[in-house]
Parts: sequence; structure tokens; C-alpha cells
Amino acid sequence: MVIRIKNIARDLKIRLPDLITRSVGRRIYERARKNMSHLTDGEVVLVDFAGIQVIDSSFVDEFLLRMIEDSRGPGITFFIKLANITPIMETNIDSVFSSYRAYNDSRIAVVTESLTGSNAYYIGGLTEAERDVLDYLRINKAAHVADIASLIAKEEHEAKELLEGLYALRLARRGPAGGSGLFQSV
Amino acid sequence: MTDGIETTLLLPDRCRDVYAFEDIIGLAMRISRERVSNLDLSALSFIEPYSMLSLLLLGRNHMRNTGERLGLVNIPLNIHQYLARMDFLSAGVFDVASRLDEKLLYRRSSFSNRVIEVTDIPGRERESVRAIAGVIAVFRKRARHILKYWLNTEIIDYFVTVISEVCQNIFEHSLDSGYLAMQTYSVGSEHVVRLVIMDSGIGIRESFSAREELASLAGSHVIEKALTTPISSKRRFGYGLCQVNAIIEKLKGSIYIRSGESSATVLHKQKQSGASHMFLRDDLAPFPGTQISISLFG
Repeated sequence: MVIRIKNIARDLKIRLPDLITRSVGRRIYERARKNMSHLTDGEVVLVDFAGIQVIDSSFVDEFLLRMIEDSRGPGITFFIKLANITPIMETNIDSVFSSYRAYNDSRIAVVTESLTGSNAYYIGGLTEAERDVLDYLRINKAAHVADIASLIAKEEHEAKELLEGLYALRLARRGPAGGSGLFQSV
Repeated sequence: MTDGIETTLLLPDRCRDVYAFEDIIGLAMRISRERVSNLDLSALSFIEPYSMLSLLLLGRNHMRNTGERLGLVNIPLNIHQYLARMDFLSAGVFDVASRLDEKLLYRRSSFSNRVIEVTDIPGRERESVRAIAGVIAVFRKRARHILKYWLNTEIIDYFVTVISEVCQNIFEHSLDSGYLAMQTYSVGSEHVVRLVIMDSGIGIRESFSAREELASLAGSHVIEKALTTPISSKRRFGYGLCQVNAIIEKLKGSIYIRSGESSATVLHKQKQSGASHMFLRDDLAPFPGTQISISLFG
């Protein structure tokens, strides 16, 4: 499903193009979650920031961080992909993620539709191997554990562990039931 | 006013920069002790935005403490024109006996684009969020002129983030309301853009008083910590000043933060050349709240 932030902001009569402050983040989050009430398990949510110029760290904290935490359960599992991110949005999201990692001892990242300023299709701190795997999945749409093991020159159980880690971060999807060992891009 | 006798204090010509204004902050105790009722501005030749807002806070603190408004007298014409244009005089903090002739007032159209006038940042979240959105809308309209000498596609967005982060600290942490102003001006051949945001609340050190690991630090070190580490006084971690510092580093600008009796100056341009770039002080005259000046030079 697609969440168009501009439309939500317009419905809530929030002045554009900048989405700043915690209260604005909370309002957008609540409306977006309401719109996601019919989400199915494993669905990808494209969060489209077209028409938005700046989101500050308070907004990121109240909106995006909460969405990512929600995507990891305990309810329905879903995957977030960001579209139309400006350079300042990327800077501010990255800054919040860095703080989150430092203080929670827990990793966080999000997939992007377009190439970011860091020359990647995600924002957040990943290892080089994880980055390679995400790129491979993005290009090939899906891959088996054996393919990934070959890509990163590791044993299959190590590749599986890496893919499961990306799944836990909601950066890669598990293949359909029965497709054991298959992982898909977000 | 004391027993009907008006006491007037001559302010020295120390409104040129954040450091010089310390001499005027140092007079705050005297203003209260000697029950000064008027400030004589005749010696001022120039006033920049940080000094202007600090003077406004000084007057507001006096009004809160005594119930009396200080008067401003003998204001030089250029200073009077500037203060009127920046809405300083309409903030309701000072009494000004002499009104400027309408013909002498700066016309808004010719001056507007380079400034953001004195703007209240309320202490309550709902009102403050509205005020911040308003300031940012004005900034976006005037940014091409305010940032004329620095303009690239991203700098406006950077400043939107900076304004938002610093203003939110007022209602989130200071327990007070505050003011914002912004201006581009020239000193000799150097162009300066200065964003000033300040309050007279509890100050940075007090706002972190619940954080035990910071309790033993000097005030300036707490400011330094807030600038360099994502710490928060309300949450497990925060972003505000740390994020602002990162942005101003990208823009090679400078940050001056004064809080209580402490200050920190960060000169990012010097950092690039490998020289000392962070200067801390803990020996300033007491002045409530937090005063922040962010500057780019070009």
C-alpha cells in the first residue's frame, strides 16, 4: 500500500512543505496507522514524501521510528519503503537512527526507493555484506540462501543468518510459504 | 523609579557582538540594585540581533522581577529605526517616550527580505508549534534574500531544521517562552547571517539536573555534551542541539550558546584548519535561560 504523507498532511490541515515538531509527527502517525488498518501480513508500505521538503528529528522520532517499530511486531508484520526523500530528510533520519543505535544497542534501517546521498538504497548502519545482499535482492527481486552464500563467499548457514537478520530489520522479506530458503526484496 | 526620582543608566556601545554584550549583561545586577528606571541608549552605534534579543530578555526579566517596565531614552535615530522595524519596540517590554516620525520609519518593503522580526516562541506546545510553523513559513519566503551570499539548494532546508530544533527546545526544556530573530548584515566587507533564539527559562544545566552522570560537570561542559552527543533531558536520547551542531559544521558556521553563567563557542571554520574550535567559559555574569546565536560568515 502507498501512504502519501502530503495527502495526510493536507487532510489534517498541516502547513506544507515542512513537517516539523513532535505533535505533527504524532498526528501524521495516527492518521497513517488508521489508513493501514486493512494491511495484510507481509505487505510493503510505500511511504511517499512527495511534496514534503523537510522532516525534522522530532517528526522522525514520532512518525518513522514508531512505524518501523510497529513493522517488527508483535502485530502484523509489514515492510516500509521510503520514496521521494530529500537530502535533509536523509540527514535527519540518519541522525535519529544513529542515536537509536547508540542508546538502544539495537540496529535500525529503512529501505528507500531511490539512491540516497550515501549511494545506497537504504538509510541506516549496515555491514558491507548486508549492503551487498540488499543490492543483490533489489536487482534480482528474490534469491535463495545458496545464491547469497555464493555472493558473500560464506557458508549457507551464515548466509541464512544474515538474511534472517535483514528480515528482522524488515529490510528483506521471506519468500512465500513453501519456498524454503527464498528471500525477496522490499 | 525610586521615591519619584528616575535613575537612568547609560548603556555602553557594546551591542556589536555576543562577547561585547557581556558588558551589558554584567550591568543587570546594577539595574536591579540601583533601581534603574531608564536605559540611555545614546552611546549605541550599532546593535546586532543577539544583542537586541538579549536586551529584550533583560527588560523582560526586569519587568517580571519588579513589575515595572524599563524606559528607553535618547535612542539614536538609526538604532530607533532598526528596533522599530524589528518589532522590538512593540514587544511590550520597554517604555519609549519619544515616538519616531512616520516618515523616518523603515519601509517594510525595502528591508523585509533580509530579516525575520522579533517573534515570540510561546512556552506551551500547541501555541509554540503554530509559532514555529509561522516563522518557518516567513523564513521560506525570505530565505533567498536572507541567505543571498550562501545560497545553494540545500541550505534553506538545513536552516528550517535548525530553526525547528532550537525553537522546540524552548517549550520542551526551558519551562519558559522565548524569542527568535534573524538577519543578514554586513560588517566591513564581511557578510553575516545570524539566527538568534533565546529564552529566560531554567537553562541547560538545570534541564539536565535529573541526569546523574552530568551532575558533576561544569555548565559549559554540559553545553558541550548537548552539542556533541545525542542526549536529552526528557528522553533516553535526543537530537536537537547535536543535530544543529552537525548541520552548522556542514555549513562551516559558528554557534554561540550561553546558559546561566556558562557558554560554549564552536567555530567550525577553524575546526577544518585543525585549530582549536570549541571555547568554553564558566565565569560569566548570571543571566537566566539559554541564549543561542548561530552565524554564517561569507
